[in-house]
Amino acid sequence: MSTRTAYRPIEDTMTDSALDLPVLDLAVPMPGFPAHRQFVLVRLNDDGLLYAFTSIEDRSLRFLVAPPEPFFPDYAPEIENDVLAALNTKDPDRLLVMVVITAGVNETTANLLAPIIVDRDSQRAIQVVLTGSGMPVRAVMNRSY
Amino acid sequence: MLVLTRRAGESVMIGDDVVITVLEARGDVIRLGIQAPRDVQVHREEVYKELQAANREAASPTDDAVRALTRMLNKEE
Repeated sequence: MSTRTAYRPIEDTMTDSALDLPVLDLAVPMPGFPAHRQFVLVRLNDDGLLYAFTSIEDRSLRFLVAPPEPFFPDYAPEIENDVLAALNTKDPDRLLVMVVITAGVNETTANLLAPIIVDRDSQRAIQVVLTGSGMPVRAVMNRSY
Repeated sequence: MLVLTRRAGESVMIGDDVVITVLEARGDVIRLGIQAPRDVQVHREEVYKELQAANREAASPTDDAVRALTRMLNKEE
């Protein structure tokens, strides 16, 4: 069983002011950063196209993340039930999907294989690996949004 | 490295709550079943390493890179 993330109009995520504030607990640390378990989403762009997923233990550690819809309109990752359980998710419609961005000199890429899923109610998050999806770790970000 | 010999259907315990069961061995392909608690993620090693490298590369971009990206997004409006 899996839950397909419903298409969510982008304004919906943008106007949710609560998105900026709460501390999010990682259900499992991000690979490569085992010591960091609590993060906040800091809005970097007025329209909510870009956030900094920032460690509260170490403010210098941050990841640029973005809602995938404007950049990858066809991207709708399937969230497995064990992920919902790890997030204590009661309502899958309250999940946010964020992709991790690598801002390079020549190109900017997004990690579509391992998005960060945030439950706005339980305030838990997890970076999931979409095993078997064939999604790229470095998808060049489309400028035509 | 601890080396154990197991047959199909037999298991290995790691700690108190991780169980790895050999489901099938066919030639040089072994199928494993893994039971682990929710806070233990299980990945193929090469996937984990790729993800670790990607996360490290993405972590803590320079202010210049962030500014450039923010500018690009704002301009596209």
